[in-house]
Amino acid sequence: MARDLFIVIVGCGRLGSHLANRLSRAGHSVVAVDSDESAFGSLSPEYSGFRVEGDATELAVLKQAKADKADLVIVATRDDNVNLMVAQVAKAAFAVPRVVARVFDPKREAVYRHLGVETVCPTAVAAESFLQIASDAASKEGSS
Amino acid sequence: MKVLIVGGGKAVYFLCRTFLAKGHEVTVINRSRDECVEMSRRLKVTVIHGDGSDPSILEEAGARGADVALALTPKDQDNLVVCQLAAREYGVPQTVALVSDPDNEDIFRKLGVGTFSTTRTLASLIEQRTALDEITNLIPAAEGRVNLTEMALRPNWPVVGKALRDLALPADSLIAVVLRGDQVLVPRGDTTLQAHDRIVLVTLPENHGPVLRFITGETT
Amino acid sequence: MEAKPVLIVDDEKNIRLTLSRALEALALETATAVNGEEALSRIREKDFGLVLLDLKMPGMDGMEVLRRLREARPDIKVIIITAHGTIESAVEAMKLGAVDFMQKPFAPKEIRELVRKVLSRDALVAEKAGDYGSHVELAKRAIANRQFDAAQEHVRQAIAADATKPEAFNLLGVLLEMAGNRLEAQKNYRAALALAPGYKPAEENLGRTVGGKGGGFRLGKSEHPPEDEA
Repeated sequence: MARDLFIVIVGCGRLGSHLANRLSRAGHSVVAVDSDESAFGSLSPEYSGFRVEGDATELAVLKQAKADKADLVIVATRDDNVNLMVAQVAKAAFAVPRVVARVFDPKREAVYRHLGVETVCPTAVAAESFLQIASDAASKEGSS
Repeated sequence: MKVLIVGGGKAVYFLCRTFLAKGHEVTVINRSRDECVEMSRRLKVTVIHGDGSDPSILEEAGARGADVALALTPKDQDNLVVCQLAAREYGVPQTVALVSDPDNEDIFRKLGVGTFSTTRTLASLIEQRTALDEITNLIPAAEGRVNLTEMALRPNWPVVGKALRDLALPADSLIAVVLRGDQVLVPRGDTTLQAHDRIVLVTLPENHGPVLRFITGETT
Repeated sequence: MEAKPVLIVDDEKNIRLTLSRALEALALETATAVNGEEALSRIREKDFGLVLLDLKMPGMDGMEVLRRLREARPDIKVIIITAHGTIESAVEAMKLGAVDFMQKPFAPKEIRELVRKVLSRDALVAEKAGDYGSHVELAKRAIANRQFDAAQEHVRQAIAADATKPEAFNLLGVLLEMAGNRLEAQKNYRAALALAPGYKPAEENLGRTVGGKGGGFRLGKSEHPPEDEA
């Protein structure tokens, strides 16, 4: 990664904490946000970023996390609606240059992709991987 | 009109009753099976059990044919998604989201979603404390962006005996109407305020408190 | 950026790391300390120009460290790092002599901007020091406009530029007298006279404060037209 980014990660669960650890180790300045303080326990001891405890659907919490200075905001809570809302707020209220939200529901993901929200859909990604495997298995079957 | 409501509780129940009385068709989406059963027993509404922010549920509830979608759940994020899906995916012409966090009101509007918030209205009501007995109405107009207040001027208030042009009301406020006895005056610069006049005051939510204090002479 | 090294004092490793990395980009030499005691011994060993100090630390608390730092080396500038929502302690610290503060969390570019600003304030003061006449005139103007803080700053810089001339001491006396400190004011009028016996404005001011001769404050003639205020 070429330059240091200031990254805000909303949701410090399995995905969020993993990203926070990796991105911090890569030299970026990271702020992890979660409404539950115990979630920060998943952060590695080497994590060199900040922690903000609060509900990211509150504007004040995003302000506290300095979202207005962020180069990138990653929204990865367990709740699709929270992720979609925070992603839009980050763009509309804080003009963050790049925002990406995890959205589990493929139907919702499709609508919001058209609305211009950058999303990652684990369901779709996993489906692709599994389908690839099935397709490989099918072609092996055919050639045996 | 075909009204689609996402949410539950007493407020939604009475809202449904009100819409039905006006002759509208109502569909309710609710996450609690018990509430759904209860509502379907007591009211002539279509009830769908499920998550209103799930496109397939909205589809099932006939969002495509709805004229209005009201998202009244306790969570701002759910209400936002319901309204955005209803508008973008199902072409519902009018959507309103209940907003609990006043900070979110402006953003939701920026994102094209109409909002309704009780927080701001209640907060400014409480701020007025002593002035409460003089205030007979507090109507937020223009989607909560403007307040209209009717109040009777007490004899000892600093604005009594002054002409409007000499008043120096705080910025962004206006005395729109003066009711004197059974006279209705649309005031001009030389209109002098008298004790017991009832004025209709226009303010913004942000300056409502200070303007009231200016008029009543409260220095709190 | 030409400057003395910066000392970073914070018990949290991630903050020390974030700050050192951020300041690297400014080509500033940095050193770290994990608590107040270490900080105080570091400043004895090496000449630091700036300290970034976290207010909330276990052991010797940040305010105490600040107090001792200011006592030992009042020339070292201190920026304090505070937790979110603790404006009162930031204000307290500023009263104790910190030059500015930064709330956590902060983006690296925020702390870089602040450090750059603080370090360049110094350079600015040094630059302007050459202009004795301008400072005297600006001080007089400020007194006339009742901007006493600005006046004090200009007088200070005038004296820094040239401590052998009477005008600035006379003006300092006036400011002190206006603040109600007659004793100190007289000292400065006398200092002006010692530097330039017969300097009228100081004579008259002194006379007034000693013998109640009446008359207003004498600021002295405007000999040097002021340059544009920066």
